[in-house]
Amino acid sequence: MKLFATTLALVIGAILLGATGPRPLAAQDLEPAQLLHPPADSWPLYHGDYSGRRHSKLTQITPENVHDLGLAWAFQTDQPAEIKSSPLLVDGILYFTVPDNIWAVDARSGHMIWHFDHPTTEGDHIGHRGVAMYKEWLYFTTPDAHLISLNAKDGTVRWDKVIADVKKGYWSTMSPLVVHNHVIAGVGGDMDNLPGLLRSFDPETGDVQWEWDATPPAGTPHRTTGGMTWVTGTYDPELNLVYWGTGNPTPVLNGASRPGDNEWTCSIVALNPDTGKLVWGFSASPHDTHDWDAVEIPVLVDGLFHGQPRKMVMQSSRNGYFFVLDRTNGKSLLTVRFGPTNWALGVDKEGRPIPNPDKEPKPDGRLIAPDEGGMTNYRSPSFDPKTGLFIVDAHPSYSLYFTKPADGDYGWAGADYGLWGKGILEAIDYQTGKIRWTHELGPGGAGAGVLTTDAGLTFTGDAEGNILALDTDTGKTLWHSGTGASMQTSPITYELDGRQYVVSGSGGVMFAWVLPQGSATSNSAQASR
Amino acid sequence: MKFSLKQVTFRNAAMLAMALGLLSIDVSGTAGQALLAATSSQVNSAAQRTHGSASAAGDAVYAAHCAICHGENREGILPGFPPLAGIDHQLTDAQIAELIRTGKGRMPPFATMPNEEVTALLKFLATAPATGTTSSASLSLDGRKGLQLSPEAAAGGAIFQQNCAFCHGRDAMGGETGPDLTRSKLVLSDVNGSQIGQVVREGRTNNDKKMPAFRFSGPEISSLAAFIHARVAAADAMKGGRRGVEVSDLQTGNLEAGKRYFNGAGGCAKCHSPTGDLAGVATRYEGLQLEERMLYPGRTARDTVTVTLPNGQEVTGSLAYRDEFTIGLTEHDGTYRSWPTEDVKYTIDSPVEAHVELFSRYTDDDIHNLMAYIQTLR
Repeated sequence: MKLFATTLALVIGAILLGATGPRPLAAQDLEPAQLLHPPADSWPLYHGDYSGRRHSKLTQITPENVHDLGLAWAFQTDQPAEIKSSPLLVDGILYFTVPDNIWAVDARSGHMIWHFDHPTTEGDHIGHRGVAMYKEWLYFTTPDAHLISLNAKDGTVRWDKVIADVKKGYWSTMSPLVVHNHVIAGVGGDMDNLPGLLRSFDPETGDVQWEWDATPPAGTPHRTTGGMTWVTGTYDPELNLVYWGTGNPTPVLNGASRPGDNEWTCSIVALNPDTGKLVWGFSASPHDTHDWDAVEIPVLVDGLFHGQPRKMVMQSSRNGYFFVLDRTNGKSLLTVRFGPTNWALGVDKEGRPIPNPDKEPKPDGRLIAPDEGGMTNYRSPSFDPKTGLFIVDAHPSYSLYFTKPADGDYGWAGADYGLWGKGILEAIDYQTGKIRWTHELGPGGAGAGVLTTDAGLTFTGDAEGNILALDTDTGKTLWHSGTGASMQTSPITYELDGRQYVVSGSGGVMFAWVLPQGSATSNSAQASR
Repeated sequence: MKFSLKQVTFRNAAMLAMALGLLSIDVSGTAGQALLAATSSQVNSAAQRTHGSASAAGDAVYAAHCAICHGENREGILPGFPPLAGIDHQLTDAQIAELIRTGKGRMPPFATMPNEEVTALLKFLATAPATGTTSSASLSLDGRKGLQLSPEAAAGGAIFQQNCAFCHGRDAMGGETGPDLTRSKLVLSDVNGSQIGQVVREGRTNNDKKMPAFRFSGPEISSLAAFIHARVAAADAMKGGRRGVEVSDLQTGNLEAGKRYFNGAGGCAKCHSPTGDLAGVATRYEGLQLEERMLYPGRTARDTVTVTLPNGQEVTGSLAYRDEFTIGLTEHDGTYRSWPTEDVKYTIDSPVEAHVELFSRYTDDDIHNLMAYIQTLR
């Protein structure tokens, strides 16, 4: 543990060093270099940084004073869609979304600076996860699977490019990932037999630089389609690799027409961001027949694993398994269940679950754990370096899965019905997979994302619409506030004018939480995330 | 900004107007209004060539003034502009006339439209739109399944594909998490949105259900209902090849083994009796619905809570609310009461928890056998 702490201190030191260098003061401007070392007064990427840990070095709000946390402001989007996006914060302005809409909001006051409203009549409007930013430009995906570049100052459109064809059944909800001069955008679309894909766009011109296809073209005999890329990946600058989770194969519940492991569906893949070439892949759910996308955040952690320093990628996957891989080569370090599952016969020597053929959907139904929503879903988990805990919103659940010949082999190709589920926050020791503590979140499930801070706080939401601050060591509740709707976002934090803000969305409202003015002096002014 | 009708359909012009920021319908003297004016004047010249019955005259008025937003076949351009197919079922002629005169929201007022044109328009709106038209993307998707939709249902289909299809499936026969609407009792008893409208507007958040509420207009709900009813008809027509779960699919179990499980390993008989609470259960429910209720009847008002107040007084009622911080109950006479959990002690009696404990113990055979037995309780 001591060595681990030392390594960690070195890593933090390196980050601090990077952050103290000069940075441009131009308003609404995000230089790509800043993405490598995000300052404390920013949250310039979907995950806050490239690692996907959703962890902040800020320490003004502590376990001792968090009971004083109160509302700084609330922003009403005044529309019915739930906010599912993780805001960006750049130069004092927050950018967040619902389908067809972007708001730019003053992070200090919560007042609106501009609103982009672009009604589309095609594509799935299931949700939207946020924008990306490069220099003074925003990048926004649309339900009809376009990528739009806008001026961050006023929301005017610069260009509008196609990621994939909505007529075929693609849509897009994700926040693109900016790496170097690449804007990498993914798609959804598992109601049709289509290959999932990532497209990289030139941030200035919108020209397509490369496309990576998760699966072969539709109609390739005995091969699967699918592998949608609907959640933002992570990036390791040292290895120059992006890590991305891919979605389920299609047809979804009927696997007969697609024998084998169905690579690269339900997988974690490592790609070269400059070429889009696959470097390695890992099947989290070989031959999935339960819609368990492995798109959950591939969280990058450097630290000790069983005494050895490792560059790791960790994922709490929708299928109920927690994976730790060596991210240099994709080899398994740990595979362990983090809740009730009943669909696998065991784990193979490569660390992949072995699906039980008798637990594939059947005409008379199979009882399956977890349900189709999965043991967790797209909202972010968080990794806390001090405790070595991977903290995830989990969803123990049971359901019935059916498929029969009349259901065919196109799109859904079956039916499934959730029976029961509940929400529970789990703190997983990444070296053993043991669950150190749990915190009940309520019937049905919570679905909120998780944020941890260096002060030892964990922020998330429960099934009834409370935002919670917990003690990261113990999982005990230290503070809460009812928000009137369940929290469908992953919280973020930043520091402005010496005050630490925590921002979370519930229903159609965005909330910013702070300590009372003057109650805490900043001891984190020089900290960086 | 000039458009020729030969090159740009009403729909495209309206879409372009929308892309320009919904300017055109705001009466604010912008480029968008110029676009509207330019397009209208060309339509007017087309309309002036049209002669014939009152309905045909109404057709021309519609084409001149309404189609740019509400679609050539009254299918609407959602989500901005509602369909008008079936509007005569939603509003009276007087209400429609009032709307035309005064405008509403983005819709400009047509205060100076001659009375005879309004009358012709009302007659036209009361007629059924032309059928067999295909105009929206959702139609091309449904086209794969060979379904013919009325313009109103097609408009509803567009709303459905954007907002409902993810959970309920594109064909409303179930998808991720959401139930098959074509077998829903509520849908089958619905008339023109009478039942569906309430669920859509209020959502379903009780009893572990997670359907969000949607803020659709009356005409939008109406068109949505029309689409769902069209899907019910299509599903009925599938007969033997019907997708989804049939009663006949759930007949693979062994009755005797199921009875043994009920009285033995399953522990069902501890709480239930085939001649008591379960008598006739298979006449009240069947198929998948019976199996789902058998496995988990849902958190119902049968959860009772007893709260002990600081003064020792006990209050009992049905569990109404619980989180870490608040416990709420409904007393026998309907009174709701709640307390901070840190101030009281409480115990909950939740018989349904026995069903949750069984999930990890069932084999699939146990479930199918139990189903065979439960289906005999008629």
